[in-house]
Amino acid sequence: MAALAARARAARPWRVWRAPWGCAARRGLAEEAAGEGKATVPAFTDEAVQTLLYKMTGLDLQKVFRPVRQELKPPKYKLMTEAQLEEATRKAIEEAKEKLTMPPVLKEREPINDVLADDKFLEGTETTKYVFTDLTYSIPHRERFIVVREPNGVLRKATWEERDRMIQIFFPKEGRRVIPPVMFKDEHLVTVFQQDRHEDILNRCIAQFEPDSPDYIRVHHRTYDDIDKHAKYDLLRSTRHFGGMVWYLVNRKKTDGLLLDMINRDLLDDATSLITLYHMLHPECQSAKEAKEGKLQGVDLIKVFARTETQKEGYIQLALQAYEEAMATSTAS
Amino acid sequence: MRSGERRRITRWRLPPLPLMCEAKMALRLGAALLRGAGRRLWAREAPRLCGSETASKPPPAPPSPYQERPWEYLESEEYRAAYGDKPVWEGYRRNHKGAVPPQRTRRACVRKGKPVGNPCPICRDRNLHVHFRNVKLLDQFICPHSGVIFHPTHTGVCMKQHKLLTKAIEQAQDHGLLWLQVPYVPVPRDDFSNRHAAVGRTPAAPALAPGRLWYPWYERQPPPPAALARLRRLYKGSLREEAAPAAAGATADGSPAPPSQGGAE
Repeated sequence: MAALAARARAARPWRVWRAPWGCAARRGLAEEAAGEGKATVPAFTDEAVQTLLYKMTGLDLQKVFRPVRQELKPPKYKLMTEAQLEEATRKAIEEAKEKLTMPPVLKEREPINDVLADDKFLEGTETTKYVFTDLTYSIPHRERFIVVREPNGVLRKATWEERDRMIQIFFPKEGRRVIPPVMFKDEHLVTVFQQDRHEDILNRCIAQFEPDSPDYIRVHHRTYDDIDKHAKYDLLRSTRHFGGMVWYLVNRKKTDGLLLDMINRDLLDDATSLITLYHMLHPECQSAKEAKEGKLQGVDLIKVFARTETQKEGYIQLALQAYEEAMATSTAS
Repeated sequence: MRSGERRRITRWRLPPLPLMCEAKMALRLGAALLRGAGRRLWAREAPRLCGSETASKPPPAPPSPYQERPWEYLESEEYRAAYGDKPVWEGYRRNHKGAVPPQRTRRACVRKGKPVGNPCPICRDRNLHVHFRNVKLLDQFICPHSGVIFHPTHTGVCMKQHKLLTKAIEQAQDHGLLWLQVPYVPVPRDDFSNRHAAVGRTPAAPALAPGRLWYPWYERQPPPPAALARLRRLYKGSLREEAAPAAAGATADGSPAPPSQGGAE
């Protein structure tokens, strides 16, 4: 199985633009980038950024297809030739890539507070609010009109929370509850993090909330902060959340722990991709300029980055030394 | 018989012998039948003891010391001595007739304040409380392989405790204390630009601007002069104070509202 994993890593194509969500948003950003050249900061959906993030995520088939607790069924055995095994591995890799599609990283949505009508003569006739939802089946949920008539006669558009609740009542989605579970509150997130279940809570968050809702963003940020605090980066490696985490850390310049973790695990390629991404997002920083002038690669790039941008320079130097010694002994023997 | 008293003629009379027990029973049976009492007719009456002889009720059991924090009991020495490493339900055997147990356990282990003989694994230990924070106890009732709650016939708990267990497990999963398998939900691929009128900002109606009314008839409007003139013309002879325009306006108010305002209602 280790051979399979190694083959999977080698066979990973140099890919590729994936996750075509927010088509209009992507088109708009591409136009902006084309229009203004390199002055704009690259977005999460850019091809170069996505390639780098996908490379850093890795593809460990054993982790992606690990057995989970579910209804027990008798095991199935298949006898295959070498060619069939290759074919099955290829299919597994395709399926794993689908599972590793990164969820979108969006800004928080603007609250809705539009009033459509104000009928004061209705005041006093009702004691409760009435919510009117358009139940046409074929329209997307974001184009569905949902309005609320208040007891004082005001007819307004429903807020985002009311919209999500109503859409879940009439068009229920799997894994989503009408009222979000209590575990997404800050005091209960701590309990979940203590059990090292960051990936589960992020999956649950994707099922429960919309990607641009404030709760989704808050839960993701808390999870990433906790991982960074305790250096548990390996929990998210080979999952679809790793790209989002790297994006969050690089935007806030908190890459020290992640870089150290990568060097300790001998993932020098991932370390260089991380530094390249950092330079793309912060082109005016010292190490970006030095790297561009000297056209540095590999270990030199990491050394320059450690010297200029990080606070844990000593640890990174030590880790690099250990890596170089290990490389020397392995090549010697 | 004394002189002067008339001799009472009795037709027949039972001898004044003490009545036999069976006769007494027969009387009571008859009375019960007539009354329609719910007591079984063939039951013998229990001998009535006087008040001093009734057995005094046992004192009520003291409350469990782990009432507030039930999870501490599972770490304590007495729990370890009683159960060791096994789950609390292991070794419990239900009492039932025949080889096949009933597919439902008993409804509850406490009937009218008194516990039954052979109570279920949770009811027999007064320190075990089903609480959503008591994760170690709840874990013993979940299958480690499939994540499913064990059926009460497997563990032997009564139906009332099984219901409490199910609720507590669901609550613990909500709070994040217990693991729950989440189905894989693929990444949503909608258009998140929020430009559609349903969710985006739409320009407000001009009538909603501050200072303007939603319907013009919300505040009193003077009637149009053409209608006033027409009404004056129609009722020329019968208007009381034709000269005063205020009075004419007051009388014109009494007339039915013009059709345009009636349509807006």
